[in-house]
Amino acid sequence: MLGFITRRTLLAIPVLIGIVIVVFLLVRAIPGDPCTAMLGERATEEACDRFNEANGLDEPIWTQLTIYMGNVVTFDLGESVRFSRPVNQLLIERLPLTIELALSALTIAVVVGVPLGIISARRHNTAVDTATMAFANVGVSMPVFWLGLMLAYLFAVVFKDTPFALPPSGRLTAGVFSTPYYEAWGWTLQEGFWAKYHEFVGNHYIFNAVITRDWTVLNDAVRHMILPAVALATIPLAIIARITRSSLLEVMGKDYIRTARAKGANEQRVVRRHALRNAMLPVVTIIGLQMGLLLGGAVLTETVFNLAGVGRALFDAITGRDYAVVQGFTVVVAAGYVVVNLLVDLSYGYLDPRIRVK
Amino acid sequence: MTLTKRLLALLFVFALVAAACGGDDDDTGDTAAETTEAAAETTTTAAAGDAETTTTAAEAMDDFEGLVLDAGGCDYGGRVEKISALDEHTVEFDLCGPHPAFLAQIAFIVFGIQPAEYLEATGGAPIDNPIGTGPYTLQEWVRGDSVVFQRFDDYYGQVAPHQTAVLRWATESAGRLLELQSGVASGMTFPGPEDYATIEADANLSLLDKPEPNIFYMGFTDIFAPFDDVRVRQAISLAMDRQRIIDTFYPPGSEVASHFTPCSVEFGCEGESWPDQDVAAAQALLAEAGFPDGFSTSIFYRDVTRGYLPTPGNVAADIQAQLKETLNIDAEVVQMESAEFIQQCSSAGQCDGIHLLGWTGDYPHVTNFLDFHFGEGVTQFGNGHPEIHEALTEASQTADPAVAQPLYETANNAIRDLVPMIPIAHAGSAFVAGSNVNGAYAPPWGQVLFNYWDNGTDTMVFVQGNEPISLYCADESDGESLRACAQVVEGLYSYSQSGEVQPQLATECVPNEDLSLWTCSLRNDVVFHDGSTLDANDVVVSFTAGLDAASPLHTGNSGAFDYYSYLWNGLINAEG
Repeated sequence: MLGFITRRTLLAIPVLIGIVIVVFLLVRAIPGDPCTAMLGERATEEACDRFNEANGLDEPIWTQLTIYMGNVVTFDLGESVRFSRPVNQLLIERLPLTIELALSALTIAVVVGVPLGIISARRHNTAVDTATMAFANVGVSMPVFWLGLMLAYLFAVVFKDTPFALPPSGRLTAGVFSTPYYEAWGWTLQEGFWAKYHEFVGNHYIFNAVITRDWTVLNDAVRHMILPAVALATIPLAIIARITRSSLLEVMGKDYIRTARAKGANEQRVVRRHALRNAMLPVVTIIGLQMGLLLGGAVLTETVFNLAGVGRALFDAITGRDYAVVQGFTVVVAAGYVVVNLLVDLSYGYLDPRIRVK
Repeated sequence: MTLTKRLLALLFVFALVAAACGGDDDDTGDTAAETTEAAAETTTTAAAGDAETTTTAAEAMDDFEGLVLDAGGCDYGGRVEKISALDEHTVEFDLCGPHPAFLAQIAFIVFGIQPAEYLEATGGAPIDNPIGTGPYTLQEWVRGDSVVFQRFDDYYGQVAPHQTAVLRWATESAGRLLELQSGVASGMTFPGPEDYATIEADANLSLLDKPEPNIFYMGFTDIFAPFDDVRVRQAISLAMDRQRIIDTFYPPGSEVASHFTPCSVEFGCEGESWPDQDVAAAQALLAEAGFPDGFSTSIFYRDVTRGYLPTPGNVAADIQAQLKETLNIDAEVVQMESAEFIQQCSSAGQCDGIHLLGWTGDYPHVTNFLDFHFGEGVTQFGNGHPEIHEALTEASQTADPAVAQPLYETANNAIRDLVPMIPIAHAGSAFVAGSNVNGAYAPPWGQVLFNYWDNGTDTMVFVQGNEPISLYCADESDGESLRACAQVVEGLYSYSQSGEVQPQLATECVPNEDLSLWTCSLRNDVVFHDGSTLDANDVVVSFTAGLDAASPLHTGNSGAFDYYSYLWNGLINAEG
């Protein structure tokens, strides 16, 4: 197992290097330049020269790439020209929201999508199956930004002043603040890696509220998370439901299922013990892929619901030609994708012992 | 230069200053100006390039040691020669020439005043936590989410009716509107034109007309044929149905431009109005110019939405259609990348067709519109016209409105006759407030101040388009940052709710006869949020941080100090 993980981790290194190089070059191929984006269209040539020199943008592109690669190795992802702050700090502030959002959405997608797929497969070619798959098709086809706006309008405006009302934007209500656990517990953090680590963990508002037992913040944070998580979950939910259904249907036709039935096992036991576990391999693969997509693909959701996560920051950085942020965030999202896929691969061994043996 | 080096340099300067002043203990100059001059001669200077800068402690009255920002002359090309703290409550701006727009300019929030000691303590980069004199103190900037302000109870002006004001942001207009409709927010900026009907139909919302001081125009560069013939430019001007463009593409509140400068700006609309559409006259003029069957050209634009041009591609297509319909001109629509467009069509004047561009005023003075576009040496429209820029130059050097008025009339009439561009639209815009908010307003100039908005609760939430970049607005130029800063920091002057320039931290600024020397008296009842008292040195140091590129306080966020450079014609000690 350790060898497998080591091998996969080593294989991820050239992938990440490739991503760094491709993103580095692609972001510079976007028309426009950071100086105009940053200083505005009235910026003089002299001002731009000073700006480019100050930000190392006057160096040849290969020199910039070499310097950047060297910095990335030391986990220095550069500094945002827009905010004049380290990209690492921006990640500490923004990545927790995206992680919480992606995990919430994935939880909804799995908790709802897998049972829907199972029900649909078990009631194959019935009205329930048709309705479930119609729902899945609508879910796959629905634009996230439209669904998001509709959900926000419904729950924030139509249901305003009712128990069903939900906030349309933001992480917390104005005036509600999340106190990081280290402050709540009176810890004094010294500058350095561990301080940043604790800051990163503390910025997961829901998790932080749970461990500090701050029920007001927990309630507020969860209420703010519901609508974006539902909007973001819709497409993965539909995909997971469809894959679960088709995979389960395929497995249900196998000889060992017929054998199980011949042995007298009831249908519920057949599905749960014999079919479902074997049908889960493609479902887990899809869940892994969706998690990766959710991490990087929350741009629209975060924009519609006004959430300051990685997706929106990436969008802003691209429009603002903030090269360091685009590169840094993309590398981190890519690394997250690699890690999720590694976890998916490891789960294969649990689901199918034959893979572990091989 | 590292922060440590900057601080050491600063300490070194102050040590020398202290030594110099210590030697003058017995001197009691006849006037503050004389003592300032004497002290400046004996203290250290930081020189770079052609200009010399001195920020010195000048012995003045009593125990107050006034500082001086001295550019060492005007050879560096900028507007400021010296800024001196004459006494605790008097600051003198010695400029390199007449500057009639001085008051309008210093009212811009970029020139806000912060405590000298605080600027020094932060190394000239108070980007996260400004200290000012405004109606709010900054409580917290929750990155990515909101900026939270607390009422400043010792404010000398109108104290906020609520304890907390929250500034949030949402890029999409629909998102901002949802926050208002749901009752989360009490105000928002710039609704999308498509939402106007919804807002007006909602009894819980109020649309606040915001007369944006802007202009959208079709520009010609007269070094290229056929636009080197004034009759061609005049023909196109007469052929355009400008009202059709407004009606089709602009939000309510927009109007056809009668002059280049909006009429809300003094002298902006002197002279005759732009001629109305007259297709027959246009065709006759074009035939007279030798193009009875039209000609081929290009319409250059960039696909960047601005208040003055909400839908660039659609407007370009409509202009193309109008040219074909009225004058049989075949115009190819050419979309350019934004930076290249600005460089080629505006800065270099190298676009050989019609270019679509606009301008939003920085401060309410006609020079900000006319001189920038039609002043001597501007190449955007080609060779320039002495009939225009000579009148503008003369007008910009007079203090007497009675003298300036006919000069601007001459300039505007010359623009109308020579048609370097065709003014199309002054675009309207709006803010939205909850109908339960008392005192809601949308100012034409400057930033909205939340302390006038009373929503009847203890928390007021306002939503804008984007997150501030930093809260040190001396080094920012985006409206979102400036709006946040304006709640905390104030300048010597400000803009009233209706856009007039009014004293703020100064009680008055009095010019000399030719408007090149402005003496400002400060209010004596103003305290900063850190408890310190406003004095003239705070003004000098705040301006030094922005204007003097060699100052250890010239740090900021990006370090560009764009508006300082642009509005004062360059920085002191700037390299290159």
